[in-house]
Amino acid sequence: MVAHGDSCAAVHSRAMSSAATTSPSVDKVDGFSRKSVRKAKQKRSQSSSQFRSQGKPIELTPLPLLKDVPAPEQPELFLKKLQQCCTVFDFMDTLSDLKMKEYKRSTLNELVDYVTVSRGYLTEQAYPEVVKMVSYNIFRTLPPSDSNEFDPEEDEPTLEASWPHLQLVYEFFIRFLESQEFQPSIAKKYIDQKFVLQLLELFDSEDPRERDYLKTVLHRIYGKFLGLRAFIRKQINNIFLRFVYETEHFNGVAELLEILGSIINGFALPLKAEHKQFLVKVLIPLHTVRSLSLFHAQLAYCIVQFLEKDPALTEPVIRGLLKFWPKTCSQKEVMFLGELEEILDVIEPTQFVKIQEPLFKQISRCVSSPHFQVAERALYYWNNEYIMSLIEENSSVILPIMFASLYRISKEHWNPAIVALVYNVLKAFMEMNSTLFDELTATYKSDRQREKKKEKEREELWKKLEDLELKRGLRSDGIIPT
Amino acid sequence: MDAFKLMKELKLNYEQEVYYLPRETGLSLIEAATQDDSRISAKCRDAKVEDLWSLTSFFGYSTQTFVLAVNLLDRFLAMMRIQPKHLSCVSLSCLHLAAKVTEEECDLASGDELIRIGQCRFTASDLSRMEKIVAEKLNFKSKAVTALTFLHLYHQIALSHATDRKETLSLEQLEAQLRACLCRIAFSRAKPSVLALSLLRQEMEARRSQDMLEITHHVQRHLKIPDGELLYWCDLVAKCLSDYASPECSKPDHRKLVWIVSRRTAQSLHSSYCGAPDLPTIPEGGWGESESEDSGEDMSSGEESLSSSLGSDGDGTYFPLHLRRHLAP
Repeated sequence: MVAHGDSCAAVHSRAMSSAATTSPSVDKVDGFSRKSVRKAKQKRSQSSSQFRSQGKPIELTPLPLLKDVPAPEQPELFLKKLQQCCTVFDFMDTLSDLKMKEYKRSTLNELVDYVTVSRGYLTEQAYPEVVKMVSYNIFRTLPPSDSNEFDPEEDEPTLEASWPHLQLVYEFFIRFLESQEFQPSIAKKYIDQKFVLQLLELFDSEDPRERDYLKTVLHRIYGKFLGLRAFIRKQINNIFLRFVYETEHFNGVAELLEILGSIINGFALPLKAEHKQFLVKVLIPLHTVRSLSLFHAQLAYCIVQFLEKDPALTEPVIRGLLKFWPKTCSQKEVMFLGELEEILDVIEPTQFVKIQEPLFKQISRCVSSPHFQVAERALYYWNNEYIMSLIEENSSVILPIMFASLYRISKEHWNPAIVALVYNVLKAFMEMNSTLFDELTATYKSDRQREKKKEKEREELWKKLEDLELKRGLRSDGIIPT
Repeated sequence: MDAFKLMKELKLNYEQEVYYLPRETGLSLIEAATQDDSRISAKCRDAKVEDLWSLTSFFGYSTQTFVLAVNLLDRFLAMMRIQPKHLSCVSLSCLHLAAKVTEEECDLASGDELIRIGQCRFTASDLSRMEKIVAEKLNFKSKAVTALTFLHLYHQIALSHATDRKETLSLEQLEAQLRACLCRIAFSRAKPSVLALSLLRQEMEARRSQDMLEITHHVQRHLKIPDGELLYWCDLVAKCLSDYASPECSKPDHRKLVWIVSRRTAQSLHSSYCGAPDLPTIPEGGWGESESEDSGEDMSSGEESLSSSLGSDGDGTYFPLHLRRHLAP
């Protein structure tokens, strides 16, 4: 067994050209240094699960170039080359089969170009061979993660060592799918549910480049194979549900969500019940995951697309978000506030009225948060013109909800920038509905007076009790009791 | 204070009030000025007084501070011609002066705090210099006779005379109404005693309380306020209050407030939305997608039976005959 990491870096510098080592910056959060500092060197490690058996070296007979061969012979040569590319090499062993690896690489390159420009090469026999070659190369059990504590947010991912070949295979496959000659009716015999299932499993790859290619591949397959669409959606559902409720581990959530974004964008109206179920049962619970930051942008996009398709979904979506509102993670709270603002940007006024009360109760809590970023993000809603217009229309409902916390933080918050923002918000409210504002100020003040009075009375009572105690103590034996 | 003493106090203030009136000529100039950069206009002044009210409310200052500040501001503006760019400084110094003599030490906000919250561009030393100038020009020591003075007196008089204890006059409400009026420069011309009396009278008329109205007549006679004058201001007050109470909100058209956020929040504002993805949209086919044919399993939701799901899309001529059979008529 070859050791990971150390030997690979130097040899595959071309493919790994972007693998510059970054010196870890000492990033202290709450006085605790981040995990990245603990790793002394941030070297991009590689891994692969393609290992060579200890047999004889691989020998491939070099074939002529396609362009050097007359047109009638090209399809057959094409097939032969495909078959040759089914041979898989071990990239963890950097010294083995270098000549053959290079041969395969150049063959793949040639195939990529060939598929892009040629006409009339795609015979029916080609389809199974193409699919076979792609399957042999890409379908593999993914190597286990280097460390158990791989934190997707902080650690550098482990890259796939056989990328020089793998990238070309993916490239080839995509061009093949996009080719003008490509016929889904023939291909569907070979690109079937089993193929798609294996493809989806690959999305768990740690290598972001691979996931990017997979994203494009799956997107094209979904587009062209109508018969596979329902299956793909169902499998993605399963992956997400497993992710949310069982493992909280899957590296390809963002990519899958991107694909879903383009699917949701294309939904026909009225929305099918299946899709609405998906929104409520899968997308909303996705917000509860700890690693939300890795795919939040894509998730928010999906949500907003759904709401643009069917505004009646606004109420369940917002109620869902409020139900899952983060209680201990401020970074997540800021993300939720960002997403909520995007939703409000497209909300219809009739829908707004339905959810304004629970919504602003939550915003009122956010605004009083001692975490200044949360408070700041919430207060910034008042800088959004559309939201302001909605608030204005409903100021008689919203102002009483917000008033108490706004007024209180204007006096008590530790952060001066927050206090300044609160002034902006209060001023806006004052101008919106002066009479209501006056009423609320008066009630607030009188409530405070009453509280103060009670406090005072309580203190006096205690003092009286103390004096009583003292007097009693002195009278009996002249010694003050302790 | 008993009724007699109150009346005496009233008379005293009535005689003093003329010294605290802004110059009429000055006020006329302001009202006549157009919205340009060289003179303060009525709109300018009104907007600035509204800002002063926002600040007063924010810092928890009393109405007394606000009324005094407005009084100082009007008197100063009527006396001195200043450029609009200095208006912020003048108004804030009036507020600070008023707060210093009215509020307790512990409740007083510092000049720096005022400037920061008010989002002004001058410094604290500018502020204190302006304060000195204002105090000097107006010969201001610590007090002024304002409409609030009279309002308090009238209120006390009304309380002492009121036979019907059930009807308590809300001083707070009257103060709120006074604030609304002060936001319009037209009311700066009114004599404080008359303005306060008009407010009182409006309130009485709204409550349709005959014996309360008697009290206002009593006061009017005592101070020898002519009917015409009182009615004139009553009308204006009525109009102002009905505008104030209307549910339409007044969108301010003067400067927008500055929203300064921290760097981290600003970063997250830009990066949070990924926008449209690079992947092109895949349109969902019509029923002709024939998804049900190839997938060996049922439709993903599991709840819908085959026929009902097809039923939603497959109506009209596109629905294939062989499946139509399964649908119940």
